Amino acid sequence: MRSLNYVQRVSLDFTGTLFPHAICLGDADNDTLNELVVGDTSGKLLIYKNDVSKPWMTRTCVGMLTCVAVGDVCNKGKNFVVAVGAEGWFHLFDMTATAPGKADSVSQQDSLCFEDQKPCFTQHIPANTKVILISDIDGDGRCELVVGYTDRVVRAFRWEEPAESTDLGSGQLVLLKKWLLEGQVDSLSVNPGPEGLPELMVSQPGCSYAILLCSWTTQDFPSDSSGEEAGSTPGSDGPSRDVILHLTTGRIHNKNVSTHLIGSISRGSKEESSKCGLFAMCTLDGTLKLMDSSEQLLWSVQVDHQLFALQKLDVTGDGREEVVACAWDGQTYIIDHNRMVVRFQFEENVNAFCAGQYTCKEGRNSPCLVYVGFNHKIYVYWRVGLERMEPTNLLRILDQRPTFRGLLEQLGLDGEDPTAVRKLVADVLYKDGAVQTP
Amino acid sequence: MQPEEKDAFPFVEDSFTRFPSQSNIYGLCQAGEQELLAATLKGKVVCFRYQVLQQKIQPVAKEVQFTYIPVDAEIVSIDAFNKSAPNRGLVVGITFIKDSGDKATPFLNIYCDYEPGSEFNLESIAQSCLNLELQFTPFQLYHTEVHCEGGGRETVFLLSGHDQRIHLYKENASLHQFEEQPVERLFPELQELPSNVLWLHMLSVPGGRRFSTYGCQNGCVGLALVDQSKPEVLQSWRVLQDSPISTVLLFSLNSDSPSTTAEEKGEEMGTYNLLVTSTIETAIVYRDIQEHGMSHPVFLLESDQWDAVLCALVVDLDFDGQKEVLIGTYGQELLCYKFQEQLHSGSERLFEMVWRRSFKSPVLSITYSDLTGDGLKELAILTLKGLHIMQHSLSSTADLVLQRLTRRLPMLTAGSELSSGHDSQDKADTVRAPESTYQPPPPPPN
Repeated sequence: MRSLNYVQRVSLDFTGTLFPHAICLGDADNDTLNELVVGDTSGKLLIYKNDVSKPWMTRTCVGMLTCVAVGDVCNKGKNFVVAVGAEGWFHLFDMTATAPGKADSVSQQDSLCFEDQKPCFTQHIPANTKVILISDIDGDGRCELVVGYTDRVVRAFRWEEPAESTDLGSGQLVLLKKWLLEGQVDSLSVNPGPEGLPELMVSQPGCSYAILLCSWTTQDFPSDSSGEEAGSTPGSDGPSRDVILHLTTGRIHNKNVSTHLIGSISRGSKEESSKCGLFAMCTLDGTLKLMDSSEQLLWSVQVDHQLFALQKLDVTGDGREEVVACAWDGQTYIIDHNRMVVRFQFEENVNAFCAGQYTCKEGRNSPCLVYVGFNHKIYVYWRVGLERMEPTNLLRILDQRPTFRGLLEQLGLDGEDPTAVRKLVADVLYKDGAVQTP
Repeated sequence: MQPEEKDAFPFVEDSFTRFPSQSNIYGLCQAGEQELLAATLKGKVVCFRYQVLQQKIQPVAKEVQFTYIPVDAEIVSIDAFNKSAPNRGLVVGITFIKDSGDKATPFLNIYCDYEPGSEFNLESIAQSCLNLELQFTPFQLYHTEVHCEGGGRETVFLLSGHDQRIHLYKENASLHQFEEQPVERLFPELQELPSNVLWLHMLSVPGGRRFSTYGCQNGCVGLALVDQSKPEVLQSWRVLQDSPISTVLLFSLNSDSPSTTAEEKGEEMGTYNLLVTSTIETAIVYRDIQEHGMSHPVFLLESDQWDAVLCALVVDLDFDGQKEVLIGTYGQELLCYKFQEQLHSGSERLFEMVWRRSFKSPVLSITYSDLTGDGLKELAILTLKGLHIMQHSLSSTADLVLQRLTRRLPMLTAGSELSSGHDSQDKADTVRAPESTYQPPPPPPN
């Protein structure tokens, strides 16, 4: 198994403790560059920018923050920062408004004056939140907010406000539906189904998953939200019909083992992406699987580390996203669609992990791995890109170039003789250089 | 905030192998063409190579069970060489200290197989051992080729010790084994040393001569020009620095070029340099040692900024025919210096740092060799925790190879206008450098 040692990293100051889902990467201030958003157990929301170790913005929320997200939750064409506490307080922040144009030139000294600003909007939703997702789950082109709870419940909300109003204060979250599941929900994700329509997937213990049906799309009163809410309250026959549980085959040691899931893994090329979506799953006992939405298994990997976080990240820059899984002890696996594995050992125990695009250096987004340890630091590995996943050598790369064989022929060399080609390449690289330099 | 990382690091990490215990500055050597041997403190030797399995190239690090290394042994140094022609068999030497509680005993084990067919097989070499007990604590194990009486050449081990001496181990052909011989007869420059030698390096130069240099624990650096045939010391120099010398390295700045003719080579004989790194001071290159001895020092600025310098290597990393100086430090940095032609007289800054790269633990040793078998060399970096293999960026190197092959064409087939014109369209995307001497005429627009 190929193993690597990333070294280019920056460390960010973080003194609190956090829940594993209270960290995310996203464009919080709508400048096309991604920031790191972290929420801690004392209710502080921290936003880090670039390689500055102090937070760029700090906000105070009510309660213990269990999950944060960045997305166009209000369907206004711009991103908001969402922070939800365990007690059920939903906070909405508009970072574009509070960060004037000078935000880039002014660094952390000035951030003090923005501190302790109140959120744009708060609302109380049912408590015991665990994980959130901002995504279009019903295929209407508008984002919904999905919240997973520690009591095995998943609720979907939609932001609604009077058409003429521009103020966030007049809008509110409206419950669309509630699903009751049999096991703990550790991840929420959206994945294109076999017909290409988005499907809401949640992970279930024992390397299983459930697809939650958005029944409001089939019923004929989508706008009548109050009726919807009544229809999905516990006691009605809704939940059982609308949850389709899928058990995956294979060696499952423990059917109660915690399971994570991530969907919509990009396949790269356009024509392929029209097929059903790819999703990956990992378990705390070390099973990793890549499947598509027709339930076909692409690969399965068994490792002896406790995997607790699952992300997707295009490390090779070819448009295909690799699966990134992290274990409590810092062992990180990056696996491509062909099951090529690259390992990286982060040297500490990990409290929370996320991977994605982040603007750390050089003023542009680059693939990053973010680790929160137990020593009051967040480490961002900002140069994790690879030229390719599999080890190879120069001759194989040259063979893929259309002109190489022709050049060998013209130089009167047999391309099938590896020792001769090797010698030629060595001569060209290490001896021709002296000829050219004047 | 200062620019933290110079970004021109031209390598991509291909693999990292974690070792069960730490290694040291004498812990890495090349064994054969495409293999590396790395020794770790707790008696384990790891062989690293690339193997092709099911059409895939895979890095493989495997422990080699060298016999007669007891479980409580701590390895000090390792070295390997191929015997001089015509035998070419592989010889591996390992020094270790066996500490059984009351008294620590140092040993030198020399592994070499005389069975025809297994001289290159590491597994069988590891089983045939010559075990020599030493009367001194060993340091660097080094090998070099010497001229023998009969006109032949032979490769010998040189081992420095804490007894202020260097010991010579030479093969006794009739007995088929190595034995210690007096060092003075073959290496007159290595007698009466001022202190314990930490690093030794030799370089053969035209005219049957060699430069020989050593760096000592007390900061002394010795340099000698020796006539190999007699052997006889022609000239010698010594300087005293303020801290232990970690590396001494002889080099000429230019890599060999195929077109350089014999007389040009004679001229180039003029430019030998000596790199000296020490544990506290800035690294120094003594320029033109055969002309000026050690009187023209050039400092590698900032090389003392990252703790002690532990290792160094001088190789051509950017394929321009001129070598760069690599320096590895205890402060977990790898530094690369490039020689800049002196623009104005009086400006002393001749070597400039072109990039640096951090590692996760101290950099102990560096080699640069073709491990993947493609003609392109890889940088192997031994750190306290393991072995990193850094590969050149393959796509840009492939571009360079194609560009240079294209340039070779007109030299070979001068005048075949038709074929080169035919190719020009394909190559347009790969030829990037505008200064390319061979520029086919652009195809007419249609």
